[in-house]
Amino acid sequence: MSAVTARPVQRLVPRMRIWTGTRAIAEAVKIADVDVIAAYPIRPYTGVMNELARMISDGEFSAEIIVADSEHSQFEIAKHASAVGARTFVGSSGVGLLYAAEAITVTALAQLPVVALAGCRALDDPGNFGMEWNDTLVFRDFGWLVSWAKDAQEALDMTLVAYRVSEDRRVLLPHFVAVDGATITHIASPVSPPDERIEGFLPPYKPPYPLDPEYEPVTKAQHIAPSLIGTEQRKVVDVSMKRSRGVIEEAWRDFSRRVGRSYPPFLESAYMDDAELAIVTMGAYTKDAVYVGQKLRERGERVGVVRLRYWRPYPAQELRESLEDVKGIAVLDFSYSFGSPDMGGAFYNELRAALYEAYQKPLILDFLFAGGREPNVEHFEKAVEITKRAVERGRPERLVYWLTLRGEDI
Amino acid sequence: MSLQPIRTPKELGSIDYYTSGHRTCAGCGPAIGYRLATKAAGPKTVLLGPTGCMYVANGHQFLTSPYAVPWFHTQLGGGGAAGIGTAAAFRALISKGKRKREEINVLVYGGDGGFADIGYAGLSMALTYDYQRLLYILYDNESYANTGIQASSTTPWGATTTFTPTGKVKRIGNERMKKNVALTIAAHPGVRYVATSALYPPMDLVNKVRKALNSGGPAFIQILTPCPKGWFFDPKHTITLSRLAVETGAWALWEYEEGTFSLTYKPPKRQGLREYMRMQGRFTHLSDEDIERLDRVIEEQWKLWLESDRQRRIILPWTPPPTPL
Repeated sequence: MSAVTARPVQRLVPRMRIWTGTRAIAEAVKIADVDVIAAYPIRPYTGVMNELARMISDGEFSAEIIVADSEHSQFEIAKHASAVGARTFVGSSGVGLLYAAEAITVTALAQLPVVALAGCRALDDPGNFGMEWNDTLVFRDFGWLVSWAKDAQEALDMTLVAYRVSEDRRVLLPHFVAVDGATITHIASPVSPPDERIEGFLPPYKPPYPLDPEYEPVTKAQHIAPSLIGTEQRKVVDVSMKRSRGVIEEAWRDFSRRVGRSYPPFLESAYMDDAELAIVTMGAYTKDAVYVGQKLRERGERVGVVRLRYWRPYPAQELRESLEDVKGIAVLDFSYSFGSPDMGGAFYNELRAALYEAYQKPLILDFLFAGGREPNVEHFEKAVEITKRAVERGRPERLVYWLTLRGEDI
Repeated sequence: MSLQPIRTPKELGSIDYYTSGHRTCAGCGPAIGYRLATKAAGPKTVLLGPTGCMYVANGHQFLTSPYAVPWFHTQLGGGGAAGIGTAAAFRALISKGKRKREEINVLVYGGDGGFADIGYAGLSMALTYDYQRLLYILYDNESYANTGIQASSTTPWGATTTFTPTGKVKRIGNERMKKNVALTIAAHPGVRYVATSALYPPMDLVNKVRKALNSGGPAFIQILTPCPKGWFFDPKHTITLSRLAVETGAWALWEYEEGTFSLTYKPPKRQGLREYMRMQGRFTHLSDEDIERLDRVIEEQWKLWLESDRQRRIILPWTPPPTPL
C-alpha cells in the first residue's frame, strides 16, 4: 500500500499519546519550530522546559535554549529574541511570574509576540504547590492575550493557535497559555498530536521592523515625553487587542478544520439551552463542573456550565448572550482579591462587570477556592444548591462563599 | 571579519553611528564613550540600552533618535538578558537557515546602576555563555545620574550624592568603597576579553572595543566616564578629568585576554589624587587628610596592580576603606 492511500486510515485512527500537559505543550513548541527558548525552574511549569531541553539534546529539533539567572532575565531574553525575528517560548509559575512582571509588561507594550506558558500556582508566602489563578490574572491589564486550557490536548492546540494569533500583523501581542498547575501540568492523559494536516497553519514569523542591521535601522522604545506619542501608543495596543477577537475566531476555525477537533473560540458551554442556573469557570475543573451539571440534569435540575477559553480578550459579549437568560450563576473561582467589591475573587468581579451591561442581570455568587486546597464535586454541587436557594428566595444571603475553608466563613 | 587596530582618530573615518538627535548634558562623558564605541564597532551592530542616562537623555524631548544602527531599550536590570536574547536570535536564525550568514555585533551599553547593581546577576549569567561578538560596556559615571545623582555600588568613597549627602553627623558622604566590577567579571571562565578604559588616552577605548568584538566570545569593558552633573565640574573638563583619573592612578587601565593580565597604561610617576579630586564638587567637603588617606589606599592598590602586570595574573587589590577612626 502506498503512503498516499495509507494516510486516510491514519486520519481516522489518530495516534494517541499519554502525555502530561507540559509534555503536550513541548510538542507544540517543537511543531512551531521555535528558535529561542528561555528557561528557569519553578514548579509546576518546569516540566515543559525539561522536555524541551531533552528534545534539543536529542536533536528532535533545533533551538537556542538559554538557562537564565531569573524569571526577569527569562522574559527579557524572549522579548529581545522576538524583536530580532526569532520565534520564542518562555514560561513560569506563581511568584516566578511576579518576579518577571516588569519584563512581562514591556513585552506587550513593545508589541512582541512572545508565547509563554503560565502554569498556575498559589503565590507565596507560605510556599505552596496548590493551584490558584492570581499569578496569571494579575497580567490582565497590560496587553497580553491569555487563554485557559482545560486539558493537555487543548493546551497543545492552544499553544499552536497562540503563535498564529500573536504573530498576526493585525495583533502582534504576546500570549499566555494558562494551564492549572498539577491538574494539567502533571497529570497524564490521552493526547492526539496534530498530523501533517497542520502544515501551513503557522506561517513563518516576520516582524514588521526587525532589530537587524540587514534592514533599515529602527530605534525601538525610545524614551518619550508623555505629551509626544504616549496616548497613541497605548491606543495601538488597545486596537490590537480589539482586532485579536476576529483573528482568534479565524485561527480556531482553520485549526478545527485541519485537525478535525471542533473548538468554539471563546466560550465552551454544556447543557445551557434551557438552563436556569449556570456554573461559570475556567480550566481543568470544568470537567468536574460538567459532571455535576450532568448529574443534576438527571435529577431534573436545569443546570448548565460555561467555560471561558480566553481571559484576554475577555469574551464579555458572548457571556452576556449566554448568561442573560439564567436566573443564577455559581462562579467557581480560584482567585482572590482582598478588599475588592464585595470581597469577591478577581475572576468573579470581572464577570460581574461584564454582566452589568446585560439586559437582565442574574444573581451571581462567588465560590472562592483560595489557598490551593482542592475542591471536589460535592463542593460544586453545594455551590449550585446555594445558588438555587438564593434564586428561589429572590435574594442572596451573601455573595461570596469559601467552601473549602475549615472553620467559620466570616 | 576581524576589526583592525586603530592608531589615530583619522583612521576611524567620518561616519558616526551615535550622532545628533540626543539631548545629553554638555560635556557628557557617557555620550562621548557611546560615540567612540559605536564608531569602533561599525555598521553591522545592534545596540541595546538599559534604562539610565543613556536611555532618558538620548530621547525624551523630541521624536528623534541618535542611533544610525538598530537600537532597542531594555529594562534597567535587563542588559545581560537583552544581549543574550539578541545574540541567541541571530545564532538560531542563521544556523536554521532563516537568515543569511553574517557576523553581527551585539553591543549593550549600560550604566553602573544597570550593570553593577540591579542587572549584575543578568550580566553574570550572560557572560557564562559563548556567544561571539557580544560586548557589554559599562559606562561608569559613578552614580544614578539620570534620577538626580544617587549612589551606586561604583560610587567612590567620599563622594556626596543625594542618597549619601555629607552632613553634620555623617561627614564623609559615601562610605562604601567603589566596587571593581571588571575584576569580578574576569572571574567568569568563559569571558574571552575583559578591560577597563577611559576617554583618555584617545584611542584606548576604540581599540579595546575592537579587540573585544574580535575575541571570539562574550566580552566586557568598564569605561570611567566623567559626569559634569554628578561630579560637579565645568563641562569643558570632561577629558581633563579622564586624563587625571588615569594619570593619578585613581582609575587603572588594564585588559585581561584569555587569562593574561596586563596594564595598558602605567602612570610614569604617580601624582597624588589632590588635583583630580579638587576639580570635582562632589569631594569639596573632604579635608586634605581625607584625601591623603585615600591616596595611601590607592598607593597600596597600585603595588598590587603592578605586581599583577609583572606576573600577568590578577591579584585582587584588597585594601581597607580609608574611613577615619
